[in-house]
Amino acid sequence: MSRIGVFICHCGENISRTVDVERVAAEVAKLPGVAFSTDYKYMCSDPGQNLLKKTIQDHKLTHVVVAACSPRMHEKTFRKAVEAGGLNPFLCEMANIREHCSWVHEDMEEATLKAIDIVGMMVERVKKNRVLPAITVPVTKRALVIGGGIAGIQAALDIADCGHEVILVEREPSIGGHMAQLSETFPTLDCSQCIMTPKMVDVANHPKITLHTFSEIELVEGYIGNFQVTIKKKARSVNEDKCTGCGVCMTKCPQKKIPNKFDQNIGLRTAIYVPFPQAVPNTPVIDRENCTWFKTGKCGVCQKVCGPGAVDFEQEDRLIVEAVGAIVVSTGFDLYSIAEKPKGSPIKGYGEFGHGKIPDVIDGMTFERLASASGPTGGKILRPSDGMEPKQIVFIQCIGSRAREKGISYCSKVCCMYTAKHTMLYHHKVHDGQAYVFFMDARTPGKSYDEFWRRSIEEEEAVYIRGMVSRLYQKGDKVVVMGSDIAVGVQVEIEADMVVLATAVMPQKGADLLAQKLGISYDKYHFYSEAHAKLRPVECATAGIYLAGACQGPKDIPETVSQASAAAAKVMTLFSKDKLEREPIVARVREVGCVGCFACKKVCAYGAVEEKEIRDRQGNLIKVVAYVNPGVCGGCGTCQATCPSKSVELDGYTDEQIVAMIEAL
Amino acid sequence: MNSQLIDTSIYADISRFIRDESLRILLEGEVIAVVGYAAGRRKGSVQPIIACDTESAGRLMFSQASVNNLAVYLTKAKKEIPKSGKIGIVLKGCDLKALVGLIGESQLKREDLYLIGVPCSGVLASTVHPATELATETIAPKCLECDAHLPTGCDFVPDVALPPQQKSDLKYAVEIARLEALTPAERWAYWKEQFSKCIKCYACRQVCPFCFCEQCLCDRNKPQMVETTPRPAGNTAWHIVRAMHLAGRCAGCAECERVCPMDIPLNLLNRKMAKELKELFDYEPGFEVNDKGPLASFTDKDDQSFIK
Repeated sequence: MSRIGVFICHCGENISRTVDVERVAAEVAKLPGVAFSTDYKYMCSDPGQNLLKKTIQDHKLTHVVVAACSPRMHEKTFRKAVEAGGLNPFLCEMANIREHCSWVHEDMEEATLKAIDIVGMMVERVKKNRVLPAITVPVTKRALVIGGGIAGIQAALDIADCGHEVILVEREPSIGGHMAQLSETFPTLDCSQCIMTPKMVDVANHPKITLHTFSEIELVEGYIGNFQVTIKKKARSVNEDKCTGCGVCMTKCPQKKIPNKFDQNIGLRTAIYVPFPQAVPNTPVIDRENCTWFKTGKCGVCQKVCGPGAVDFEQEDRLIVEAVGAIVVSTGFDLYSIAEKPKGSPIKGYGEFGHGKIPDVIDGMTFERLASASGPTGGKILRPSDGMEPKQIVFIQCIGSRAREKGISYCSKVCCMYTAKHTMLYHHKVHDGQAYVFFMDARTPGKSYDEFWRRSIEEEEAVYIRGMVSRLYQKGDKVVVMGSDIAVGVQVEIEADMVVLATAVMPQKGADLLAQKLGISYDKYHFYSEAHAKLRPVECATAGIYLAGACQGPKDIPETVSQASAAAAKVMTLFSKDKLEREPIVARVREVGCVGCFACKKVCAYGAVEEKEIRDRQGNLIKVVAYVNPGVCGGCGTCQATCPSKSVELDGYTDEQIVAMIEAL
Repeated sequence: MNSQLIDTSIYADISRFIRDESLRILLEGEVIAVVGYAAGRRKGSVQPIIACDTESAGRLMFSQASVNNLAVYLTKAKKEIPKSGKIGIVLKGCDLKALVGLIGESQLKREDLYLIGVPCSGVLASTVHPATELATETIAPKCLECDAHLPTGCDFVPDVALPPQQKSDLKYAVEIARLEALTPAERWAYWKEQFSKCIKCYACRQVCPFCFCEQCLCDRNKPQMVETTPRPAGNTAWHIVRAMHLAGRCAGCAECERVCPMDIPLNLLNRKMAKELKELFDYEPGFEVNDKGPLASFTDKDDQSFIK
């Protein structure tokens, strides 16, 4: 026989204002199986929880119903208290008489009757609750970090410094990401490479970090604590173990005029190349599309000059499988292209800016390469068309960003600051030049950010014009910028030598495909979604997968690094235990009824349903049934709703419990 | 419309082809049994048989009385078929659609089957004597709406030319249109009356290839999902469960309607569900195996109009 304790919370006045809590307690006390019933001002408070614990012992309660707010907030609180009182936590249920009753009704009499019904239903349900033991799954204490930009590097270093193995996978031939491309960084103007490259070297030298560059994620299987990840190591055509990084191959390669993506295609590289001198690993890659050997079967100069014999034209893509317990996704960002709209893309491009066909209209990242000491111009600001030093330069902000009509409604967050930085770098390098900035409004929240922006105007002579540009066109060797100054209310026309566009920050191409492999959700722009916008900002809704950096949304470097360390902390929390405890609200298959149609498997969003063979003692196959892996099951109940023979049930939400609730009405 | 005779002259040839092929595959050991039709005791009647030897294979035939959907004999709920070895089966187009559905739902494996497809001009309605000639008045209503006269993807299809199909009233389409024109209250009254006839014999369940559950949820008593006695509430619940479980699966063999002793228009309900699926998800059961039916998958193009 059940001895149920029912606790009616006033929630201050939130509930008791519209619900006669004393009457509810008195009515519920009459229900069969209820051994104790009371009301209390704040059940979630310390004295409220103590009342719960004490009553369990004093009245030898077997089940508990707390009638209060939505279980979303306090179910955990009360289950913990019930556990402390000596019961299995899953013998406690909450009846929501706040959101479902007091907040949405005005009439006290009716609200009270409804509250009695709600509590009565939960009393019937809790009678059928079973003791659910916690599910434990083993944890593989190795982490996978996807993306080797500053986010991935920071996360990998933090996890590895804690003594756990890290697999770092990077799509490009070198780690470093976009930060390695930057010249100087706001708001201190320290050299990006100078602060970045030591971290890259730390990664390469860390005994706990295994680095896979020029590699991509092929397949992700498993679940929190137990992922199996297949990584495709693309053929580098250079043996990483033999290569010493001397660079002779690159000096001898006859293909010297290939645009270098790292230099935003304004610098040139050879067919066998490292993207930039400080690359980690310092092992070249052969770009097979442009290599003479791969195109014609002749040449092979690099192979001939390579002392250690590292060049290997026969190398093929390899698949390797790694077992990891946690995954940090840090795939970073890309920039909006003003070029013509790609097919099927929400991006509209900028026809009024010449769709990217005016050579001296460049994006912010290209300006970074021009300003970088290791860039294609050696740090001189020279325009791409004729190599002249621009004396009038126009920066235009919010290109793509905050422009719903161009396909993006969000703010890219970093452009105001980097444009301010660009005007300074320009002023430092071209003393007789003039920088103009067209802007909507300056967004500079951040430590020392606003001071930095003001400095660009007050000390570095940048002219800020509030207004947008309607058209850009080539006139002789000038680019004419037609815009408006809305502060003064006049049309502005500037004949510029070069124009720099602060194009929007977007997720990497293929971010959606990676998300599908990982089973994580993403928004309409393909930025990855966190589990909770405020309280779980670095975790994915999929357990065991964490986010770092701009793959989640536009971020500057300090934010990215903070988030990377936060993600690393989450991974370390997971790795601090040998076994992982999971909430036992999982689906279970009643094998006797299952006919193996696997409708459940088809609808399972978590990939938790497996096929299980049932054999007799002689080993003859009796039938194949569904099996729900409790480590993977997310407890959503879709399988339960789908099963035609009702042979899958979600613990804590069984058909018996639901029917009992309905019948209590 | 006056009744017109439907040409069934090919059925004699088809019968001969089925016999020859069945004898061949049995003798060569390719299959251990062939599920097919043989003459029944009543004049003109036909009954399903499981032919395991040459003697019984010699009795195999096909006629306008070959109404049964034999796919049902292969499902787990039916225990008559030997469990080991490859099985041959004779299938009309409508039956093949059901069998393909069973493969998609992991109930059968294609490699365990030898499919003998039948080019079919139609079979008799359940209401006429089996010795009746096939005509536009005596044909089963489902055959008038059939788009699967010639099965494809089978291991063997008799090489006979199908006579052209005669145009006729589409009884289900007409009836669905009539019901759709009613008010919800009138429609409810119609179905309430139909379901009130149900005696809960579950013949519709037993004959349906897609009712392959070994334990039907309607037989469960803890908790009891559906009232078991033939009373209005339980009857309605049963028929709604049946219609919903068949949505996106039923291929329209109309066996449920044929076997119903109370003449409840069960296939009408199935056809209405199929029409909804076609309109909502552009889905129709066919001869191709689908891993995921329309109700087990989601795309962003799915109809969202139910969210107001």
